[in-house]
Amino acid sequence: MWQGNTRKILALVLALSLAISMFGLVGCGDDDADSEETDSTGTESTMETIKIGVHTSLTGGLADYGFAAAEGLKLAAEDFSGFEIDGVTYEIELIIKDDKGEPAESPVVAQQLVDEGVVAVIGALTSGNTNAAAPIYQTAGIPLVSGSATRPDLTELGFENFFRTCLRDDLQGQAIGEWAIELGSEKVVVMDDRGDYSVALGDEVIKALEAGGAEVLRQEGQEGDVDFSAQVNNIKAFAPDAVIFTGYHREAGLLFKQLTEAGVEAQFMGGDGIKSNDIGDEAGGAANVEGTLSTFGGFAQENMPGYTAFADAFMEATGKDAGPYAENNYDALGAVVAAMELAGSTDGADIISSLSEINYDGVQGALTFDSMGDVAVPGGGGTELIPRFEYKSGVWEFMN
Amino acid sequence: MTFEHVLGLTVSGLTVGMIYALIALGYTMVYGVLQLINFAHGEVFTVGGYIAATTLIYSGVDASTPLMAKIGYFALALIISIVLTSFLGWLIERIAYRPLRKQSRITALLSAIGMSIVLQNLLVIIFGPEPVIMPTAIVPTGFVEVMGVRIRYLQIIIIGTSLLLMGILAWIVKGTRMGKAMRATSQDMEAAEMMGIETNLTISFTFIVGSALASIGGFLVAMYYGSLQYDTGFLYGLKAFTAAVLGGIGNIYGAVVGSLILGLAENWGVGLSLGLLAWLFVFGLVIGLYIQVVRAPGQRVGHIADEFRTPEYERLVRRQYQFTPVVAVKTLLSERTDALVHLSAKHAMRLMAGNIMLAAFAIVFFMNSEVQFASKWQHVISFGVLMAILMFRPSGILGDNIQEKV
Amino acid sequence: MAVRERIGNMFRRAPRWTFIVTALALALIFPLLEQYGIIETLWLRLGTRTLVYVLLAVGLNLVLGETGLLHLGYVAFFAVGAYTTAILSSPRLGYHWNFWVIIALAMFLSMLFGFLIGMPTLRLRGDYLAIVTLAFGEITRMTFNNWEPVTNGPGGIPGIYPPNLFGWVVDKPGEFFYLLLAAVIVVVWLLNNLKASRIGRAWNALREDEIASHHSGVRPMQAKLLAVVLSSGVAGLAGAIFAYYQQFINPTYFLFMQSTIVVCMVVLGGMGSIPGAIMGAVVLDTTPELIRQTFTKWLPNAVGQDFLPGFQTALQQDFDRYRMLIFGIAIVLMVIFRPEGLLPNKLWRRQSHTEDPREQANTRQHLFDVEEGTQDLEA
Repeated sequence: MWQGNTRKILALVLALSLAISMFGLVGCGDDDADSEETDSTGTESTMETIKIGVHTSLTGGLADYGFAAAEGLKLAAEDFSGFEIDGVTYEIELIIKDDKGEPAESPVVAQQLVDEGVVAVIGALTSGNTNAAAPIYQTAGIPLVSGSATRPDLTELGFENFFRTCLRDDLQGQAIGEWAIELGSEKVVVMDDRGDYSVALGDEVIKALEAGGAEVLRQEGQEGDVDFSAQVNNIKAFAPDAVIFTGYHREAGLLFKQLTEAGVEAQFMGGDGIKSNDIGDEAGGAANVEGTLSTFGGFAQENMPGYTAFADAFMEATGKDAGPYAENNYDALGAVVAAMELAGSTDGADIISSLSEINYDGVQGALTFDSMGDVAVPGGGGTELIPRFEYKSGVWEFMN
Repeated sequence: MTFEHVLGLTVSGLTVGMIYALIALGYTMVYGVLQLINFAHGEVFTVGGYIAATTLIYSGVDASTPLMAKIGYFALALIISIVLTSFLGWLIERIAYRPLRKQSRITALLSAIGMSIVLQNLLVIIFGPEPVIMPTAIVPTGFVEVMGVRIRYLQIIIIGTSLLLMGILAWIVKGTRMGKAMRATSQDMEAAEMMGIETNLTISFTFIVGSALASIGGFLVAMYYGSLQYDTGFLYGLKAFTAAVLGGIGNIYGAVVGSLILGLAENWGVGLSLGLLAWLFVFGLVIGLYIQVVRAPGQRVGHIADEFRTPEYERLVRRQYQFTPVVAVKTLLSERTDALVHLSAKHAMRLMAGNIMLAAFAIVFFMNSEVQFASKWQHVISFGVLMAILMFRPSGILGDNIQEKV
Repeated sequence: MAVRERIGNMFRRAPRWTFIVTALALALIFPLLEQYGIIETLWLRLGTRTLVYVLLAVGLNLVLGETGLLHLGYVAFFAVGAYTTAILSSPRLGYHWNFWVIIALAMFLSMLFGFLIGMPTLRLRGDYLAIVTLAFGEITRMTFNNWEPVTNGPGGIPGIYPPNLFGWVVDKPGEFFYLLLAAVIVVVWLLNNLKASRIGRAWNALREDEIASHHSGVRPMQAKLLAVVLSSGVAGLAGAIFAYYQQFINPTYFLFMQSTIVVCMVVLGGMGSIPGAIMGAVVLDTTPELIRQTFTKWLPNAVGQDFLPGFQTALQQDFDRYRMLIFGIAIVLMVIFRPEGLLPNKLWRRQSHTEDPREQANTRQHLFDVEEGTQDLEA
């Protein structure tokens, strides 16, 4: 009879899958994501612990960005602990929460952080999740400082508690477009992956390109696609001078690989989403993406006064290179601490009102916020602030 | 719109279509035998690719490996992938489908969805969410250039392999004892069992063959795109299922024809201008009607015994099939082949005339249009094809009429 | 065994209304617990989300459970409802329509889409319907993603205005909880009445044997279509309130995964049983968070130290994968061993497990005598 056998097999398979799961559970336990950060060794009576929330995505498609953000913040928490307000020394305790990169999970994470009684929150990682969580922090009167939510319209929605220490994507998009024009491109393809970040950046790139007088063909893929053959054929028929992909490196690698194989000879370009060294593997060999150009949504790390020290500290703490936006997150916490010191208070409303007045000297250099909550660019600078990179034999090299 | 562009789209459409075909064959075989949509088949395909890629990564093959050793590693990866994936296919059938064979279809489908979720998440837990990268050294890189279009050797290999496997499969089903057992099981499981056919064995065999095909497909896709991600198979599975339904599910040739049409539709749909699409639409209408009226399975126009050909009957049929475009489209899209059995050649011609009118309309309106569909609608096109075909002609292009409506 | 029997007896003897009253009382008190600081706001927020899932599960149960049609694109109707609210009550296009108008319109639009999808497909076999609805779900999401002038594409629609119910501005989680609770009560009451009516029996008959029921005077198309349209309406309602509650929506809320989760809820709870669907939604939506909190917060706090640090990290990092893995395994196990679900419907129970007595004896031992208990629930 099959029932008996089936049950045996079923039991076997379940046991196996459980065993595998357990193996996975035990296997990946090096970095502790949600443990208490402070040892609170200080025994003086004037010592207090202050809770800062970290709203990030440690799992999901952008886990590596989330990891960089969390580790950057851990460094910041170590560095900034021990600041004094009215004779009280404060230790920073980070409460790190993971929203899995899903906007539906974002309000729940926000509520958890609010319940924990955090005085300020660094996050969220992506613009979509920031949008979903901002109303909750707004109601609770908690400042929200993101180091990586670059969508332009975020600061225009009227959340007075929202600040960010990264540059906006409209600046980056403009920079990519202008760069393509500088290279003498007359026909340019702009392709996005229909994602939140990608479409917004693509729109800005197209604006800049059209302002520069280039002929633009827009193409779209879907995030998670592997086959771009129809788009590749369209691009080939258009015979462009440059192909700009505004999504992430996984799809960028696949697209550039397929373009190279189809014999399209154009300059490949992209935003900070493609600036990952994995792109070589994903493009089936670094040769396929040799000479690809990318920009970054923040200030040039190479021009930052404290970046080398930061990157070294990051390397020492995690054994990995400082990932994208790690320093922006570091500075986000720094800005919050600076605002608390300036306000002489740890109250949310006080921090919010003094955040726009701080003049904080961070990894990225001197940092102030404008009235919208965006980073005020020194001297009203434009696209020349956006750093440029070229992919050479497996690594992204800084250009200016 | 240059010829080169159209040719390029066609070549890549055929390649993509052939990849769909390898997966669609598995769907169609299982459906043919069990009337079950094996929802986990897309994941089986991913697992096949993952196993092959992982084997090659562990073999340490790189550019300096001699050619013979490369071929050896390739064969080894292929064999390991086929064996393990077939075992997985057998296991899935054994665990999730066999206990439910007597239950309703919905129950089995639910179980299949459950299996699909389990497999996808197991893949992430074991291999992580990052894509698995195929060692590039194993992938043939050469290409030939035909009229400005690069055709990679790998594309030729994919198309050739698919055709070869389809041939082998057709031979198995038509020419071997096991194939006979499969056909018998598909017709009537109980009767087959009474005739001494080991239906359980036959069904297991079906799953094993389908999974083996999927694993080859997974391997080819991993080579073609250079990497695979845990969720790649879900979309591919859906597309392949669309192709199988489009061609007529349960029909091996149908799966291949449907896959090619879907692959081409996806490429042409967002690559060609509306003008060319209009021409294609017309072409499709003519072919479709030809299949439906003249070559409908087991049916021939005018096959009606003369004693039934009363004047009243003729009048009835004529009234039913006025040659208006609307009727033509309705006929093409609906389950009316059975009615067409009684249609005389004259009426068929009238129907054709209706189609041609529709075609003329399409051409006049769109001929000079250079506008393209934005490529963001690409997936919507395939899903739209799936919905349209299921809604209006669930038997597909080459399929038999679906008799049961339950 | 004595304790088990006594618990079983307690369930069996208690009249049906005691369960309803207890459940309602618990639900009514729940937001107050938050207000007086007994539980954290997180739980209220989760509870509110659970109620959205309850609405969805109850609505899907009508199709999947009562009528036996598999619907894999249920989240599409949810999306239609949510986008109706988002478009008509946000600064996006500058509309600020009345709450009741939007709710009515959201339900109407979802029902219309349900009708348009159902019309051509319901004459097909059930598994084809599943695939068509799956395709519809994906098309809907991609359309919202691509239709930038109206939906702002992938950027989503932020800043949805809070609803105004005759002057009562609903903008706190607790208030939304009550609003959703009211919606759940109304929907469950209506669907329960329908279930007991002639059309409800027609649905069940269709599920058991379409041909036989057709010959007994049920019109299959009409009955099925009614079920699909009504359940689409419920999803639209849930979506409309959900959008108000979230204040922000974008297309990634409406992935295929959401549809499968709702299917899991209905299957786990018991296809064709409203209490089952409710329980399925509550269990599947809250258990993962409870487990996570137990291992990362409560247990470490109670023990006073980190509890299995590696396990905690894994819970944080891969929890979602394990959750979905367990959902998948649960579906397979449920349909094989206990197709009637945890809180089964009377009719289902009577007809399942009759073929193999061994099977029957085995599954009867599942969960202490809930089966007997629910006999009264249904009676």
